Amino acid sequence: MNKSGTKSVTAFLGRYMLEIILVLLFIIMSFSSPAFLKPANLLNILRNVSMTGIIAFGMSFVIIAGEIDLSVGSTVALSGVITALTAGKLSASGGMPMESAVILGMVFALLASILIGIFNGFLLTKFKMPSFIITLGMMNLLYGLSAVISGGFPVTTLPSWYSWMGAGNLFGVVPVPAVFLLITFVIVFVVLKYTKFGRSVYAVGGNAESARLSGINVTLIKIGAMTIVQFCCAISGIMLSSQVMSGTFTFGKGWEMTAISAVIIGGASLSGGKGRAWGTFLGILFLGIMSNAMTLNGVDEYVQYIVQGALIIGAVLINSLLDRKGKL
Amino acid sequence: MSTLEGRHLFKQFPGTLALDDVCVSFESGKVHALVGKNGSGKSTLLKIFSGAQPPTKGEILLDGKPLGFSGANDAINQGVATVYQELSLIPILSVTENILINRLPRKRGLIDWKAAHRQVKELLDHLGIDVSPSALVGDLSMWQMQMVEIAKAMSRGPKVLLLDEITSSLAKHEAELVFDLVRSLKEEGVVILYISHKLDELWKIADTCTVLRDGKTVGCVNIGDTTQKELVSMMFGAITIPKRPDDLMVSDEVVLQVKGLSRADKFQDVSFQLHKGEVLGIAGMLGSGRTELLKSIFGADPFDSGTVVFGGRELTSANLIRMKNLGMALTPENRKSEGLVLQAPISENLCYASYDNLSRNGFMDGRKQKKYIDRQVEGLQIKVASTSYPVEELSGGNQQKVVVGNWLNTQPSVIVFDEPSRGIDVQAKQQIFRIIWEQSRKGVSSIMVSTELEELLEVCQRILIMRGGKIKGEIKPDQISNEELYALCMGGDKL
Repeated sequence: MNKSGTKSVTAFLGRYMLEIILVLLFIIMSFSSPAFLKPANLLNILRNVSMTGIIAFGMSFVIIAGEIDLSVGSTVALSGVITALTAGKLSASGGMPMESAVILGMVFALLASILIGIFNGFLLTKFKMPSFIITLGMMNLLYGLSAVISGGFPVTTLPSWYSWMGAGNLFGVVPVPAVFLLITFVIVFVVLKYTKFGRSVYAVGGNAESARLSGINVTLIKIGAMTIVQFCCAISGIMLSSQVMSGTFTFGKGWEMTAISAVIIGGASLSGGKGRAWGTFLGILFLGIMSNAMTLNGVDEYVQYIVQGALIIGAVLINSLLDRKGKL
Repeated sequence: MSTLEGRHLFKQFPGTLALDDVCVSFESGKVHALVGKNGSGKSTLLKIFSGAQPPTKGEILLDGKPLGFSGANDAINQGVATVYQELSLIPILSVTENILINRLPRKRGLIDWKAAHRQVKELLDHLGIDVSPSALVGDLSMWQMQMVEIAKAMSRGPKVLLLDEITSSLAKHEAELVFDLVRSLKEEGVVILYISHKLDELWKIADTCTVLRDGKTVGCVNIGDTTQKELVSMMFGAITIPKRPDDLMVSDEVVLQVKGLSRADKFQDVSFQLHKGEVLGIAGMLGSGRTELLKSIFGADPFDSGTVVFGGRELTSANLIRMKNLGMALTPENRKSEGLVLQAPISENLCYASYDNLSRNGFMDGRKQKKYIDRQVEGLQIKVASTSYPVEELSGGNQQKVVVGNWLNTQPSVIVFDEPSRGIDVQAKQQIFRIIWEQSRKGVSSIMVSTELEELLEVCQRILIMRGGKIKGEIKPDQISNEELYALCMGGDKL
């Protein structure tokens, strides 16, 4: 009896590890820094994690499907550049006012991201190339492309209303990007759990051959996952360019690491078949709160890198230890 | 001259006594064949000699001295080398590196490539193997690799050489070349033990033949003094095939027709018909092309020519999803790597093939899904506390039932069972067979493949013989004995 009691406590701790750590972190922070619990600060955390967070949700599909996308940061930059360039060029040529041209720019950016995703997925499924390599190449390719089409400078031809998406607040309080993040969370949660596509992503990531022999269209599922994450990047990229009021080719550098970290900390496995929307959400919040906590406590920016790196390794270590225990 | 001896060897596995007081003795200068059907204990005996497993009781002696191994590496150090059917060579390394792996000669701490190649060249010349030491193993053909594998074993100067099914993936003329090499090794004063399921080879290569059955030695004969028929009856003894129920009806209606189906290097010009409610067996040894044939019919693998007539359509290309929608199902040969997503819950594994039926506008119908899951758990008697557990926690037999349940949920009209009884216990096997018969009563047809040919005799109403990628004949189970069926599949024209 006693033994099974301990066992269920361990199981509970294993299952809600991240939730427990987050609560502890919250409690410690509210004592150590009075500014932490202020609504303004909490909303600020949400705003800061929104853009990488949306990508992390897209990345969840890719990682659960057993793949990876390293090119996300470059698509963030490209989307901003495409939006701003379209707005600038169309209004300069007198085709239409900048206010509406920017909408066309956003459409172009979203379309471009879809095409990039399909292209990644096509190379992946048709030629059996590893997604790591494809997207490593695309990371550089898209970065260079953004730099070339923007002439190497920030493109700032954007109408003033545009800043609402990145810097605005809904009802004067809730940051717009945070609203997008929550909407994305709900959609991803539902899709992963309650749709045929979502369930198929797990099957494909768990064992692609079994999935294929069960008549699941593995090619379509993988292309779908690779496209969703790119689409999320375009949304993030548009919001980032709105927040800064400029499309710049250096935006989004290193974001792939934050997004992947959030998914992994959330309990997904790089070998596929495992991961949850809720886990990713916790992973995003965890990274955001850690970074906010360190900033509030005056921790040096470079030290923050060290801590973040250690956290990722620690999270994966805990996961693989729990996995091994489950096997025994 | 050396002698390898096994004295009163016992090996107990949970539930079975794999070796039951086995006494054998093999001397050098001869090739000793070891035969027996699956589960006879020949693999266990080999594993004990090779140091992969210790016996539960008994001892092995080399030249009268007891051998005790602390693992396979230790066995090599004590003079026992083993060549397995699955090649242990590393394709991206050269012949020299593979043969001298871990033992490359060094000069001042660095590898002395010149000496290494020279050493290997001498060895290969001595054995009469015409392969360049610097060639990459991955560039060699299968039989050359097998020879390199033997050379690798011989490079350790062993007293005992164990050869485990070394010709299983070779064509006939290639096998001949390997035989030449093995015969020449007799001069080296090595005890050679040869394990094979290809009986007709034995007259070309072996001098003596030891037969195992149910963990006991049935006899040891000089190969020249025996016939294939005698060996087969020694292997099987008197076995009675359990009767299949007699209420199984086969109608005249043809549900599946395969016409002249071919796939290069796999199978050629295969034609047959399957009737409604029929249980059709395909008998063939490993490498006969049976699994490949099934996969092409199901659309999981392509085919080059011929057609499959099914569900009112004449299909000229492979398309798995279309076949599924037309009502075909396949439970794959290897359930762990092809049939299941091991870490996923049992409930999901029962639904993968029917996601289309279980969703509306892309959303899963949770209530319907639960109905589908419960239906199979009850119908197939899958023993499980909760269907939310990962399927890997189930026993082999229950896992196999999940694979079958996944497909029964698609309500197919034809089910292809590839090795449905592999690695599951006797009771679970009978349950799987009963499921196949139950489907037959409902008018669902089955095609079944099994390495255990006696199972086909038990389960099927009609059996096709497949050999070398071709259908070589058709028999009714009550017209043929198990031994005769084995002989037909192994190409024994000597019967």
